[in-house]
Amino acid sequence: MFKSEELEINLGPQHPSTHGVLRVKLRLDGEVVVACTPVIGYLHRGVEKICENKTFFQGQVWTDRMDYVAAISNNLGWVEGVEKLFGIEAPRRARYIRTMLTEMNRIASHLLWLATHALDIGAMTVFLYAFRERELLLDLFEAFCGARLTTTAFRIGGLREDLPPGFIKQARAFQEVFPDRLEEYETLLSENRIWKKRTVGVARINAEDCIALGVTGPVLRAAGVPYDIRKAFPSAAYAEMDFEIPTRPEADTYARYLVRLAEMRQSHRIIQQCLDGLPEGPVMAKIPKILKSEVNEVYHAIEAPKGELGYYFVGEKGGLNPYRMHVRAPSFVNLQALPKMIEGRLLADVIAAIGTLDVVLGEIDR
Amino acid sequence: MSDPIEPQAPGEPEVPAGPYVYDYAASPQRQIAAPKTVPLPGLRAYLAEVAAQQAADEAKWKKMQADYETAKAKAEAEGKEPPKPPVKPVPRKDDTDMKTPWPQEARDPDLLRLQSLLGDRVEEAFEQAGELTCQVKKESLLEVLRTCRDDAELKYEMLADHAGTHYPAAKDFAFSLVYHLTSVSRRKRLRIRILVPEGFEPESACSVYPSANWMERETFDMLGVRFKDHPDMTRILCPEDWEGHPLRKEYPVVGWGQRDIDFRDDRAGVLMRIAMQKAGQMGINLKQP
Amino acid sequence: MPPMTLLQTIVMGLIQIVAVLIVVFIMVPLLTFAERKVIGYAQVRLGATRTASGRKGFTASMNRGMWAMGKVPVLSFFRGLPVFIADAVKLITKEDIIPAKADRAVFTLAPILSVVAAFGVFAAIAYYPGVMFYMPKNWPLIGGLPFNGAIADVNVGLLFILGLASVGVYGIVLGAWASNSKYPLLGGLRSAAQIVSYEVPLTLSLLPAVILAGTLNFKNMSVILATGQGMSPLAVIPLFIGFFVYLTCGFAETNRVPFDLPEAETELVAGFHTEYSGMKFGFFYLAEYANMIVVSCLATAFFFGGYYLLPFGLQRIIPASVPFLGQPSFLFFMAKVSLILFAFIWVRATLPRYRYDQLMEVGWKYLIPLTLVNLFIAAVIRYAF
Repeated sequence: MFKSEELEINLGPQHPSTHGVLRVKLRLDGEVVVACTPVIGYLHRGVEKICENKTFFQGQVWTDRMDYVAAISNNLGWVEGVEKLFGIEAPRRARYIRTMLTEMNRIASHLLWLATHALDIGAMTVFLYAFRERELLLDLFEAFCGARLTTTAFRIGGLREDLPPGFIKQARAFQEVFPDRLEEYETLLSENRIWKKRTVGVARINAEDCIALGVTGPVLRAAGVPYDIRKAFPSAAYAEMDFEIPTRPEADTYARYLVRLAEMRQSHRIIQQCLDGLPEGPVMAKIPKILKSEVNEVYHAIEAPKGELGYYFVGEKGGLNPYRMHVRAPSFVNLQALPKMIEGRLLADVIAAIGTLDVVLGEIDR
Repeated sequence: MSDPIEPQAPGEPEVPAGPYVYDYAASPQRQIAAPKTVPLPGLRAYLAEVAAQQAADEAKWKKMQADYETAKAKAEAEGKEPPKPPVKPVPRKDDTDMKTPWPQEARDPDLLRLQSLLGDRVEEAFEQAGELTCQVKKESLLEVLRTCRDDAELKYEMLADHAGTHYPAAKDFAFSLVYHLTSVSRRKRLRIRILVPEGFEPESACSVYPSANWMERETFDMLGVRFKDHPDMTRILCPEDWEGHPLRKEYPVVGWGQRDIDFRDDRAGVLMRIAMQKAGQMGINLKQP
Repeated sequence: MPPMTLLQTIVMGLIQIVAVLIVVFIMVPLLTFAERKVIGYAQVRLGATRTASGRKGFTASMNRGMWAMGKVPVLSFFRGLPVFIADAVKLITKEDIIPAKADRAVFTLAPILSVVAAFGVFAAIAYYPGVMFYMPKNWPLIGGLPFNGAIADVNVGLLFILGLASVGVYGIVLGAWASNSKYPLLGGLRSAAQIVSYEVPLTLSLLPAVILAGTLNFKNMSVILATGQGMSPLAVIPLFIGFFVYLTCGFAETNRVPFDLPEAETELVAGFHTEYSGMKFGFFYLAEYANMIVVSCLATAFFFGGYYLLPFGLQRIIPASVPFLGQPSFLFFMAKVSLILFAFIWVRATLPRYRYDQLMEVGWKYLIPLTLVNLFIAAVIRYAF
């Protein structure tokens, strides 16, 4: 008369907390997850194919649309990758400004992560607090390049324009308020009993598994591995910056939360150094109007807010566009760790795990 | 899905059958400009090219001198003013900040170590733009990766990226597959490259680097390269019933066209057609019960 | 006064029912509006501001007043007030969809069950001890009849309330099951487990009050517990503990944050009412907010001083001869209910959500032992002092 049956359930692609169009096929035994299969591709636009048919200048616009919450990081990866392919070095001032904007974008991205992650777990108020500060940053981006989200902020060889008048003042105003605001989030969450209950020990993945699965970014650092591409393979002006790599040994959701908060503090520090030590000089290197590549292949990776963002270019002789362009999207690789994190755990932990991985589907599906 | 891909000669691709709304055949984006060169970076190819270029320059110079000699002899014979002697052409120096990175000989200890460990399994090793590239034989890929991961002096623990490139103009291979390895502890990167012909199934790297799982699925989806012993060799980004592999060079940017399915006008009809199809697959004839 | 005839009883009953329903039907939308505004305030935003009248009407005049005072009326509290009317109109006029594979009868029955259980409880709640006012003398049939503070002054009022309130879970479970869909099913299962688990500490937390008051009649319990007649001063201790346990269980019973697992929107889309739309969803919505009001009424009546000013039997400090403060008042009752409702909203803006197993842990491992200890203390105080 009684029989037990496993319930198969589709989490997504239309679901409030899958951060886009992620679909996770779950097999549930009661509320316990027995098996989990992420299904992706609902946002596939063929960015790699399109970029193969656009010039190096045009292709950059498409990078904004991949990780749309960290467009500036994507721009940085693209322009530095192309510069490496051609052997161009951007002027020092341009590199400082790039560093500063990328770090601002990292804060914006982490704020959005904090907002949505807290909302997923049920803490609604942090969402709006984090968006309040993100708004200040988006205003800064708007002042710099006229766009708030799809910025296309940099150009191959440097920047299109220098900083607009008043930008430094506006940035300093943000620098002033931000540490207090971070404290505010911490008072709401860090010692909150329910928050700790929902995050401590949840979605663990240890350092060996992280490295085997290629997981990078804050998830890897929360497992105790101090691997940060800004330190390991510094580009832009990171080699001249003084900052630390925050790590935690626990490798759980709470550790990732602490690591990301600490990263925001470090980014704040880097922005301050950029503002204080901004060198004078040109912002654009001398490059030909038409870039024609040679036979060459480069893989350039930067530390995006989600992890290692790599661009792989193959150039052909005299080519105006890349012969092949491939993006190593951090979310794409990190999402592979999801089954490992949640199998045998409860359904509510799936939501916490998706939130803590900080995936952006525009980047996964490309 | 399960049947292996037939080896296909590069050339005119087959257009998949099916009703299309728009005729993209006439569209300019549909026209496929098949690449004529094989832009495969490599030290040997580069040196050969440089040598060929030098030889061509030399020949040109010789020809110019010879032309001058004949012109001079002719002018002398005719008693005219002799022409100006030719000037050896020097490459034009442009005033840009570009320093094109050319391939260089392998000097990095990691590449030398790999060469000594693997012997003739290494086809080519060179450095370019500060990056290490090691091209190995396609049959020994797994062994090479395992060496890179386990060797105490190499210790490339992480597979950061895997990608493939289609070279339809190449004679003896069709794809180059690259594996970007990262050593987290030593902060180094290494690129392992193999060249595979159409229809060849390279071994899956999943047993060495579990992160290769989705990356190889993506390569299969985009290029049609299947991997041996892969746990789940299915499409990942495109839908399961997608035709063709979009990142091949013969695939048009706009795709093959748009299917003739209009859900707004004939919703019930479409549902009916799908039901008929499904029933037909199960051996049921819905029309005549 | 002659005893009322049957007709008079029925008519008076109907009048009282209609009066209570009107109050509840006004309170629920106001509560949703208050929720938007209070959460908006907590989250440094404005809340509902877009639904405002044009040039005429209440909000328009308030906005004009704001302009006259030199303030921008977007910040006005009263902008957005008509949103609850818009909500009601939307819910009533929306298409009522029943999924093709749903069990139609049960699917329709479930929201009705929910809303009946929620509203039935209001019958036994006394909003004022005794007669609130008398009908005007010159009215036909009912002239001069008393308008009581409760629709039905049941002797076992508390039992009636608890019994009826526990029917409400059937609405949720049946609705979830009848939807024939997976997310509602999970929501329904969670709900069943949660409400069954929290019913126990909820009832146990009320028992000290019953022991101390020595009666189950709603009105009498409330008056005795507030004024502390024949109670030891030590009775404050079990009442105080009971109040917080009761509120906690009340949050769980009404599926509010941090116990809103049955409809956890980030996990189960919308939980048990995922497949519901239109007024059927409206009924669930109404029932949830009505339940909140019921829980607040009960907490007020038994622990928070009821119709008197001071809670936990402290009212004895103020002698009954003091004109307003010493007397029972409907205003006190409503003010306290509003305060507790505000706490509901406040908590929603502050706390994250528990996980399913942690919720069970809190219920069984902490709340039930605590209430049992509390019951023991109450019994000792009742008989020893």
